[in-house]
This record gives sequence, C-alpha cells and structure tokens, in this order.
Amino acid sequence: MVVNASARAAYSMSGTSPALVAAREADAAAASAVKAHQTAGDLEDARQRYAELVARHQRRAARIAYHYLRDSAEADEATQDAFVKAYQHLGSFREELPFDVWFTRILINGCLDRIKARTRRERWLVPMAGTRRTGGGADGTAAERDITDRVAAGGASPEQALLGRERRRQIATALAKLPERQRSVFVLSHVEGRTSREVSALTGLNESTVRVHLFRAIRKLRALLASDTAVAAPGELKGKRRVTS
Amino acid sequence: MSLLERLRRGHLSDQQFARLWTSGERHPHLDACAGCRARFAEFDAWLLDVGETLRIEADEVFPVERLAAQQAQIARRLETLERPARVIAFPKAARAVISGNSHVRRWVTVAAAASLIAGFGLGQIVPLRSVIITQQAAAPNPHFNAPVAVDRARELTPVNPSPADDELLLSDAFASPKVKNLSALDDMTPHARDYVSRPK
Repeated sequence: MVVNASARAAYSMSGTSPALVAAREADAAAASAVKAHQTAGDLEDARQRYAELVARHQRRAARIAYHYLRDSAEADEATQDAFVKAYQHLGSFREELPFDVWFTRILINGCLDRIKARTRRERWLVPMAGTRRTGGGADGTAAERDITDRVAAGGASPEQALLGRERRRQIATALAKLPERQRSVFVLSHVEGRTSREVSALTGLNESTVRVHLFRAIRKLRALLASDTAVAAPGELKGKRRVTS
Repeated sequence: MSLLERLRRGHLSDQQFARLWTSGERHPHLDACAGCRARFAEFDAWLLDVGETLRIEADEVFPVERLAAQQAQIARRLETLERPARVIAFPKAARAVISGNSHVRRWVTVAAAASLIAGFGLGQIVPLRSVIITQQAAAPNPHFNAPVAVDRARELTPVNPSPADDELLLSDAFASPKVKNLSALDDMTPHARDYVSRPK
C-alpha cells in the first residue's frame, strides 16, 4: 500500500513508537521522584522535578486546551489549572498508567467544566456586537501579527501567509461545527497523534466508539471543507482532487 | 473519475477511505488499483494537512514566550500552595456588631417569640378576662364593703399632736375601760396603775 508511511507510523492507530515509550519512561521516573520528594517534605526539589514534566507536556496541553476552548486566555488558565491540580494530586497517580494520559484526563475534565460554565454564563448574557466568539477569532491579533513577522523574517510571502491564514480559518471553522465528542476524538487523534486506545483512555469512551466518532468526524470535515473550498476559493486547492461521497 | 464510473469499476469512495484510515485495515482493491491508491494517498495527505494546520494554529497562539510566561506562572502557583494564606483580622468594632453568643441570642429570641405566640393563642382559646369578671360578679368579697369603709373614714377626726395629748394618753392608759362589756375582763387583768401606785 503506497501511503505516507512515516506519517502513518507517527499517527498509527494501534502501535506506540519507541520515542513515545522512552518519553513515558522518563515521565514515570520524574513523577516518582516528585512523589518521593513530596513525601519527604523536600518541596523545593519536588517543584524542580515537576518543572521538567511541565516543560515536556506544556505545549501539547496548551494545544489541546485551545482546541477545546477556542480562546487563548481561557486555554492558558485551563492549562495552568491542570498542572497545579496534577501536582497536588500526584499522590493518587498510579505509575502503571502513562503520566501524559493521566494528566490529559485532568486537562480535558477541566476544559469540559469551563465549557459548561461558559454555556451557563452565555445563557444569561446578551452578546454585544462584535464580541461573538468565533473559531480563533479571539486571537485575530496573533494571526495579524503573524503576517508581518513572517515578512520581516523573510519567510513566506504576504500572499502565501494570507492563504495559509484563510486555510486555517476554514479548518478551524469546520472543526468547530463538529459535535463535541467527534471534535475531541479528532483533535486527540490527529492533532496530538494519540492511538484509539489512548483516546479511549482519555475520553472514557469505548475503543470502537472512538473509531466510529473519528470516522464520522473525518467524513463530516471532508464534506465541510470541500463545500467551503468550492464556495470560497475554487482555485486554491488546484491539483487536489475532491471526491464527494 | 465520476462517481458512477467509480461505482461501476468497484473503486473505493471517500467514506471507505475514512473507514480504512480509521481502522488501519488493508483493502485488497488498493493493491490492485493504482487510481484508488493515489486517491487514498491524497486522502491521507489531506488528513495530515488538517492535523498539521490545527497544530500550527495552536502554536501560533502559544508562542515560546507565552509558554515561558505560563511555566513561570505555574511555578509561582505551586510555590504559593506551600505557604499558608495570611489572614487579616478585622477591626474589633466591626466584629462586635456580629459577635457574641449568637446561638444563645437566637434561642432567647425564639423562646420569647414562642411564648408570645403561645400566650396569644391561649388568650384566644380561653377567655380568661371574662371568666374573672364573671366570678367577681357572682361572688362579692364579704370582708370588703367599700361604702362602709368610706363612712368609717369620715367619722375619724384628725388629731393635733401636742405635749398635753401625751399626758392625756398616759392618763387614759391608767384609767379604767370605758366599754362596759370589757370591764369584767379588765378586772381580772393586772393593771399598770396597780404597780405604779403600790408603795415600795
């Protein structure tokens, strides 16, 4: 089968790469050390060792939180809360479970709580003109800054940057249209490269249910992006064949 | 390649690609058909592109500087966890308003309110006042007659105290009783005057 073999291996739905195994061993060692320091009362050392774990998982955590919440400030807070909570409850962490799976579960629960709270809040608030939350809308400034930065750094041309930004907007909008579970499963599988078993452990869903959600998410995204591309920019994806199923 | 043509030749649809991609299975048609293989590779690339785009988007929102600031904030928060919070005492005057044995006060208030309600209720049920008035009307006090008492009070004459009155009082004490009914009893009783007049 001629498919992108390296990418397939990286995003394999069943296997675990040696790099990931090594990273998990390092996580387990760091988590054990933090626990031992906490028990001994060496809190300074515990914090120092925990900083290693934070540095290793911070970017991934921020991505997940951002894709759940679609708001950078809230994603930042949710990530911080998850790390603080994980530190406080490290005593209950079982080492036979990978640290990243345990931690991501805490993070996702926190994000879901925030989404619930936001939904409750928005039910009672009248939206003001121009403050409607759109996919990535809260971070428009970052995207705008992106163009000037790239031009100044001699990277992609303004045209390419603009097209890239438009593409990201389309994908983010399409992703936001997915039902919550499909979106979670898709983000964890495709953005974070988790196996279906890991996604199952993270979300509490059955492994086969994860596959079904993933399949539906891909199908819907494909349809949404195909229609978006056809309406918005017919010439943009020249050379890529779009097949409607 | 049209949809009809694909169906006629048994080519795979996008939905089947999605299923194959999700399950990681291998379809025999992919080995035999170069067109479907190419389309599946394209599908695979598209999916990877979507994932990569989403990753880039999130990474743009969280640049290295922001992650460093976040890490510092996490470290600060962890450090704060170890220090107990400082409690600032409120001024005494403010406390006095709400201090004291509030539960005792509450009980006293409740008891007073309950007594008031019970008393009021009892008053409504039992007409005590009318009962008392009726009893007074039915049985007047035999030892007390207001008109008689008033008459006796009128008969009394006021006395002007003077030294002569004292001598009169003493002479009265030595005199025999003026009430006839009591003279027999008076005779049997030893008198002061007998002792005073007796020679030593």
